[in-house]
Amino acid sequence: MKSVEEARHEQRSATFIGLLLFNLMLVLIQIWLCFGVVENLVDGKPAMAVPAAIGSLVCFGVNVWMYFGVVRLEKERL
Amino acid sequence: MDQELKQSFPVDWVEDNYVSRREFFKFLTLASGGLAAGSVGMAVFSSINRGRISFEPAMIANVSDVPVGGSLQFSYPRPQDLCVLIQPKAGEYVAYSRRCTHLSCPVEYQPEHERLYCPCHNGAFSLTDGQVLQGPPPRPLPKVLLEVRGAEIYALGVSHQEVKEG
Repeated sequence: MKSVEEARHEQRSATFIGLLLFNLMLVLIQIWLCFGVVENLVDGKPAMAVPAAIGSLVCFGVNVWMYFGVVRLEKERL
Repeated sequence: MDQELKQSFPVDWVEDNYVSRREFFKFLTLASGGLAAGSVGMAVFSSINRGRISFEPAMIANVSDVPVGGSLQFSYPRPQDLCVLIQPKAGEYVAYSRRCTHLSCPVEYQPEHERLYCPCHNGAFSLTDGQVLQGPPPRPLPKVLLEVRGAEIYALGVSHQEVKEG
């Protein structure tokens, strides 16, 4: 049987991996948005640039929030 | 000596090159910040009013410069706006922007097919009205309005055409 400390460690580890994958997914979305904006700008259609920038900023905000969450998670462990 | 070295520098090579999950998370967050800054920069760039282009009449060529079935490159209205002047039949002149409406690759005149061809993505435009004949371009080529004054050819403006249905 696992000790409480071991179980907590596994739980933290799983949370960390989940957050990491979510972070990666958001970065991929940002890359997709960035390429979409470049293609549209080259094509002479600037209308997509502002909504894409807002979306990208939201993704960045979520990533920063998750990063500070991870830092807090690691501090709790120590 | 070896023991002394290990005590002084306890981290071995494997650990030295190890990237922790937290460092990777930090790297991804920084990359996310860079992408967000890039997107904001592009949004600002696209929002800046770059001024209206004025279409002043400009002499672009002499009649003798363009042979029948031949073409001549010129810039109008700005130096970076590349265009092509073509004389498909004797006394008949047409001119279009060379910027493909798909991804801005320069189109080239193909007299054997009587079309303007974009080699980047196999797009083609009609010589008579600039409409899309094939490929991914979403709109016709902008047409340069011309006037022949004696032995000189003048560009008067640029017409952005709509897609013809059917």
